[in-house]
Amino acid sequence: MKGRKPFIQIQGLRYAYRKDGPWILDGIDLNVPAGESLLVAGASGSGKSTLARAVNGLIPHFYGGRFEGDVIIGGISTRQGSVADLFDQVGMVFQNPEAQLFNRSVFREIAFGLESLGLPRREIRRRIHEIAEEMEIVHLLDRSPHSLSGGEQQMVCLSAIAALRPRMIVLDEPFANLDSDNAMRFRRTLTHLRRAGMGVLVCEHRLGHAADDAGRMVILDRGRKIMDGPPAEVMGPGIDAYGLETAPPGGWVQAYEIETPAFRAAPAKASPLMTIEKVSFRRDGRTVLDDVSFSVHPGECVAIVGPNGAGKTTLLKHFNGLLRPSSGRVLLEGRNIRKEKVSRLARHVGMAFQNPTGQFFKLSVWDEITVAARAMNRYDPAWIDELVRLFRLETLTSRPPYRLSDGEKKRVAFAAALSARPDLLVLDEPTSGQDRSFKEALGGFLTALQARGQTVVLVTHDLDFAARYACRWLVLKDGRITTAGTPRRVCRPLGDGVPDSAGIRQRAGGHV
Amino acid sequence: MFDPRTKLGISTIAAAGIVISDPLWMVGGAWLGLLLLLTGLGHLQSYARWLLLVLPMTLFFGLVTAWSVDPGAGILAGSKLLTLTTVFFVFFASTLPEDLGNALVKAGMPYTVAFTMSTALQFVPVIGRKARDILDAQRARGIPVEAGWAALKHYPAFLVPLLLQSFQLAESLAEAMEARGFGRPGRSFLTEYRLGARDWAALGVSAAALAALVSVKYGLFASASGKFSSFFP
Repeated sequence: MKGRKPFIQIQGLRYAYRKDGPWILDGIDLNVPAGESLLVAGASGSGKSTLARAVNGLIPHFYGGRFEGDVIIGGISTRQGSVADLFDQVGMVFQNPEAQLFNRSVFREIAFGLESLGLPRREIRRRIHEIAEEMEIVHLLDRSPHSLSGGEQQMVCLSAIAALRPRMIVLDEPFANLDSDNAMRFRRTLTHLRRAGMGVLVCEHRLGHAADDAGRMVILDRGRKIMDGPPAEVMGPGIDAYGLETAPPGGWVQAYEIETPAFRAAPAKASPLMTIEKVSFRRDGRTVLDDVSFSVHPGECVAIVGPNGAGKTTLLKHFNGLLRPSSGRVLLEGRNIRKEKVSRLARHVGMAFQNPTGQFFKLSVWDEITVAARAMNRYDPAWIDELVRLFRLETLTSRPPYRLSDGEKKRVAFAAALSARPDLLVLDEPTSGQDRSFKEALGGFLTALQARGQTVVLVTHDLDFAARYACRWLVLKDGRITTAGTPRRVCRPLGDGVPDSAGIRQRAGGHV
Repeated sequence: MFDPRTKLGISTIAAAGIVISDPLWMVGGAWLGLLLLLTGLGHLQSYARWLLLVLPMTLFFGLVTAWSVDPGAGILAGSKLLTLTTVFFVFFASTLPEDLGNALVKAGMPYTVAFTMSTALQFVPVIGRKARDILDAQRARGIPVEAGWAALKHYPAFLVPLLLQSFQLAESLAEAMEARGFGRPGRSFLTEYRLGARDWAALGVSAAALAALVSVKYGLFASASGKFSSFFP
């Protein structure tokens, strides 16, 4: 890093989104030479996404707010240069791939930025084909970006930026929604870009995926730079204090096998609460679920695990009738639910989806938690009080739910899903995009719920979390249950990883 | 096949032709012609679905006209409306929003306006998917937003999240577009839009057909057909 002229120079940067708001970045000094591979790590709210937006000029041009200090990119201050002046210098890949794809086809998606550069047609076509081959997405070029899986969308977003050949690519939490195979593929692609001389700046809190590839690592905490140096030096024992996710050496499978999951196993003779009986589901001529059978017993915590696209969310939507099986039966306490309305079944099955923003419509957290219970005539203030305490929402009850942080929103959604005292709580990817402190808190909530006898089904690709808190795993791959049993049993034959037939491979970081 | 501007021109001419057409067999003939075209383009199934939405509006319009004028006028007015909307269904079914936008830029419309328009059209299905997800999330919570009277009472449970999500999506998209140089001067266009001989010929034939229709209507048979022509001024 020494001796090279910095490409990015950040001097005394302080930034607040509102004129009277708190500093989100508070005195950042950072020089990044061209071609460097930098990891900016920090928990949710540490300011890493804000720093990413300051590096390509979106801050202050797009967001306004209070801006002090200087960010100089390739000799141009972001105060003077607009985002359009800088976009071919610093390319930005945002966290949510769906919200940054706005063209009809992948081909057009990659073409958009190249057209902005004013390149001739022949050059645009050449670059599109070149990048598509490099990123192995040639087969997707004619597809609509919105018909792709999350992993494929992420590759398209990266391709659309890499095709511009910026001197540095900034990626905001690129591994948030990727399963392990997609994350590894994404890492290989980034390595390829680094070798081609492109600088890469990754903002992440999942160090398992990002630290190995970085040449330098900066830790942010509450808007301040706390550490800066080679990853091997920075990743010392004190790093846990910053809410980062570090994979244990040698992988997590062995690490947890000696632990006992927080949930107890179901009583062997109890009659099942929910039974999925030979359920198959077909959509658009494709079999999404294929002859799936299992039962969930009262008081147990079951995790449905598997890679992206395995059919996990499709399966959970059968629990409350949002989807009806093409064949087979779903039984709740022995009763077929085929003809029952979803809003009636909600008394028995509470469900919290991955993105809670899609359900909030009340002006206060309290109203949001109670609205469903009231609609079902099951409002019990004492129980709601208990939920508020359990999910530590005491200070948030009068705030508008959509103004909360992502982690807080999820806690509200969990409380809302439990407000009518359902027999079964179903959580869809509850840890997705969350940092370690959230996961620990959620683990605490689940343990407390378990003590009350609550039955829980987790749907997740976060194996580390599933291993700690579920007493039984169902491994779903390509719409079929390939393995089922206690986490220990599912993983025992693995040696150093779950076999491919189970759809899981061991990866540092604990994601399928 | 044709430049989007040609298609827009032909559609506009066809619309004008339908407005001045009568008697009924002419309008019916035009509709059958469009139906054949849709079959050829392979859009008959999506047209049938779209027809289910449009038919009530057409019937209502026809009934109001029949009530205020006479039954013959009502049938003619309803048929004209159906055929007119079919013309533009064919146009949108055979033209990509982005091609339309880019062609309009070529015709002088500011790029930012044309792009906003074509992107908005592109996001209709995305917003539709979000709407379905919101309904699912609310039903899963026990809020009865299933079709029926009870749903009316709970309409904010659907509308508020949809509006909020649409605004959020719009903001994220704007940010992503900025980051890919949207609005930077000197933009090039990957697709070339050029009006060729075929386009001019098609436009010429359509204009001639309209001129013939006008001369027939207002020349030879003006006195006989004047009765119904006043419903579309």
